[in-house]
Amino acid sequence: MFDTVESFYRPGSVREALRLLQNGKNRARIVAGGTDLVVEADRTIRVLIDITHAGLSYIRRKGKACVIGATTTMATIENSPAIRALAGGVLARAAATCGSVQIRNMATLGGNLANGSPAADTAAVLLALDAEVVLADARGRRQIPLVDFYSGPRKSAAGKVLIVEVAIPALPRGGRWSFQKLGRTENDISLVNAAAGLQLDSKGRVRWVRIALGAVAPRPMRAVNAEKLLVGRQVDESALAEVCDEAAREARPITDVRASAEYRRETSRVLVRRALEECAAGTGCSL
Amino acid sequence: MKTMEVRLNVNGEAKQWTVAPGDLLLDVLRREGYFGVKRGCEAGECGACTVLLGGKPINSCLMFAAQAEGAEVLTIEGVAHGDALDRLQEAFLDHGAVQCGFCTPAMILNAKALLDRKPHPSEEEVREALAGTFCRCTGYQKPVEAVLAAARGLAR
Repeated sequence: MFDTVESFYRPGSVREALRLLQNGKNRARIVAGGTDLVVEADRTIRVLIDITHAGLSYIRRKGKACVIGATTTMATIENSPAIRALAGGVLARAAATCGSVQIRNMATLGGNLANGSPAADTAAVLLALDAEVVLADARGRRQIPLVDFYSGPRKSAAGKVLIVEVAIPALPRGGRWSFQKLGRTENDISLVNAAAGLQLDSKGRVRWVRIALGAVAPRPMRAVNAEKLLVGRQVDESALAEVCDEAAREARPITDVRASAEYRRETSRVLVRRALEECAAGTGCSL
Repeated sequence: MKTMEVRLNVNGEAKQWTVAPGDLLLDVLRREGYFGVKRGCEAGECGACTVLLGGKPINSCLMFAAQAEGAEVLTIEGVAHGDALDRLQEAFLDHGAVQCGFCTPAMILNAKALLDRKPHPSEEEVREALAGTFCRCTGYQKPVEAVLAAARGLAR
């Protein structure tokens, strides 16, 4: 299947990986877990650059922020005490649904993003966590918000650049989090997924909220209008109904082999509600 | 065709193989005679090609052979202890947890990885460990019972 591949490299550093990527022109591809790249079976690939030995498998706390190296596997993330303690363990939960045991032992966080799929389970959660990605190319490194990383379905900034790590900033104090997913099975690709974060003030009004959706738009998205509707309000039944309607309106789903656009839109409404209800229950807000 | 050398350990034996840079681990293992590594969907869905890499189950259809450089690979051929079957293999036989047998190597390897890490798993944990291995004879219940029975045996 990959009989067109002429060279396979296993660089020991990011610098070396970038040099190989540049030398390979457009015919070199980065590989880590391989769980997407191998299935894609792109016959234009001449050079493979395995970055799993480039020193990018780590999870580090930096004060109240957290950085995760690009080649950290889903299995490592779901089992990491630091990630399980971060934002109520919402990222660990998303990673745990990201395919079978075998897939999670191989698939990496950087790969889940670089693949550019709007259905990526970790993407919605990372959007709700205001995560940023650190990218490197021959000119240097830069850090951009994850929301700017995607340019369209299966299109991301990866290719000419390398994802070095994902940075999760200090989170709002007392924030509550939720990840919701609907797939054929728990470990299957999401038909729709949703993540939410909620912080209430002392009077029970919403001070800060994040609502993110996956598999309902060309890229993982924030439902920013829905978020705005909720700020400053109590999380009661009427607010929830309004916000979930708005989130469903913001979604731009397509019909494909897995689900119809209408079904995805309706499911967005349901999953955003479940996510916000879970967050609200965690903040002691009675619905 | 360019080739490269890969050094790895398979079932406790050091190996050095000449592979093409784009060869998948599944293809190389079968070429070298490890036919217990099954070719199924070749897309990471069915799990029939499962091997343990450093003790962890992976789909060998999704991994390049070059990535196994320096790795310890365990296939079903390396699970028995000489002529004596492993307790998991015995339990699969005792419980009739085999029909056509195509998924059995992957079931046993996934179960072994679980029991090595967690000797007393719950039924839920066993089901989760086997979730990435598809049995098209619809025989999930007996494998689950077999793994739980093997775990009880290990506890003794």
